[in-house]
Amino acid sequence: MRLSQAHFVIQRVLRSLRELIWTHVLTAGTMAMTLFVFGGFLLLQENLTGLLKGWSSQLQIFAYLEEGLGDSELEFVQRQVRSYPEVEGVRYVSKDEAWESFKTDLGAQSGVLEGLDREILPSSLEITVKKSYRQRASVADLAGRLKEVKGIREVEYPEAWMEKLSLLLLGVQWTKWIFGGFLFMASLLIVGSTVKLAIMARRDEIEIMQLVGATDRMIKAPFVIEGMIQGLLGASFSLLLLWLLFLFLSMRLPPSLGILIPGDQLRFLDLWQVSFLLLLGWLLGAVGSFFSLRRFLGA
Amino acid sequence: MIQLFRVSKVYPPNFPALTDLHLQIEKGECVFLSGPSGAGKTTLLKLLFRAEEVTEGQIIVNGRNITRMNGAGLARLRQEIGLVFQDFKLLPYMTALENVALAAQVIGLSVRESRSKAFHLLRELGLKDKHGSRPPSLSGGEQQRVAIARALVNDPVLVLADEPTGNLDPDMADETIRLFLKIQEQGTTILIATHDTRLLRKFNRRVVMLQRGCLVGDSKHGDAGAGS
Repeated sequence: MRLSQAHFVIQRVLRSLRELIWTHVLTAGTMAMTLFVFGGFLLLQENLTGLLKGWSSQLQIFAYLEEGLGDSELEFVQRQVRSYPEVEGVRYVSKDEAWESFKTDLGAQSGVLEGLDREILPSSLEITVKKSYRQRASVADLAGRLKEVKGIREVEYPEAWMEKLSLLLLGVQWTKWIFGGFLFMASLLIVGSTVKLAIMARRDEIEIMQLVGATDRMIKAPFVIEGMIQGLLGASFSLLLLWLLFLFLSMRLPPSLGILIPGDQLRFLDLWQVSFLLLLGWLLGAVGSFFSLRRFLGA
Repeated sequence: MIQLFRVSKVYPPNFPALTDLHLQIEKGECVFLSGPSGAGKTTLLKLLFRAEEVTEGQIIVNGRNITRMNGAGLARLRQEIGLVFQDFKLLPYMTALENVALAAQVIGLSVRESRSKAFHLLRELGLKDKHGSRPPSLSGGEQQRVAIARALVNDPVLVLADEPTGNLDPDMADETIRLFLKIQEQGTTILIATHDTRLLRKFNRRVVMLQRGCLVGDSKHGDAGAGS
């Protein structure tokens, strides 16, 4: 396409944007809603992944020891635990240290411990798992083996939470694609209808262009460009809405949730995800226009 | 310039619009295509600029077989042909100048070149003062001259006119045909479909007569019925 023809195409695009402004706004708005829902899931997934990663990085297994272990037996248990390939580090927590730590955690309410025996809490081993083994299955397997070690009475780790969060994350991932897929199809139909309207509005002009020898590319290019512009505008608007929602939620996060998700750890979409949403909008507009043109103007 | 070999066109389900047509038109000729309504004049013109495809036969235009042409080839063919219609086919929201320049712009001329060429043609066709007017404010004759200017703006080798005088009064119709003859003098081949026998008698050019899709007379071969 020559420069003068490109100029002509751009002129037609601008004229269409001017003349059918509300149709274009409506289509871009619909695309924005689709991408907002999709982006919302993306945002949720991003933060749940962050949360899960945060928890995983702090993942420790607590192995409570039997009463009355001697120094050599304690040494033996620790050596045995360290020999497992999944184990990164082992720290012994004496009854005394456990008592102090518990007291500190209770803070102002530590008075309830008065009168109790300092040795009520069992001594334990805090076992840190290597990064590469911080999956649910590996941790469960290690916990099972630890239970078999002579001298260890009980083993605990945050299995239930990890499992629930993993399931939730999986759910969000699938919902994002399934729900997003449906909305994507709906948006394609809406873009198609807009292109149909634009074709109807310019039917005479298209016919004349065909008669005077305009190439197919020349006739179709403005519609595809309009679709791309609608898609990009829709995606930009959805990002703006997502950003506002993110700000609102960050500021209004209930304090009770702060223990689970510290406010400063909430994350907005990264550059890659923002680019992905913009690309998705662009693609949605282009593909919608392209298929509509094939349908109404022929291949 | 134009060669038709055993050309037939059948519209579904089974309506023969043209049957076994043989025709040759030389470069620079001006030919009237005549016959009653439904004779196949418009269908023949549509086959020549490939708005329709032949059912059988071959068509050569300007040395190229256009029978199975499509895509870029079709666009190129149409850039070499100027088309004029009875209903003018002008865009009402564009000025006369813009209507003419549109045809030049789509084939790649710059806005300035297209407008300059369009203005020059409108001036030649006596519409110098009307270049800024929109078609609804022009008379039928003026609109047809704008349409002719658009047909000529890309320097076509062939002009096809489908009932170009159908909406004009006799004086304006004569004026329009004179304009076509002037264009022919510059070497352009002209094919005018008309059922107005007055024009055929008055301008005494080659007449090809169609009836029910069949060629029934050609004044070039001295056939009776043609040109009468």
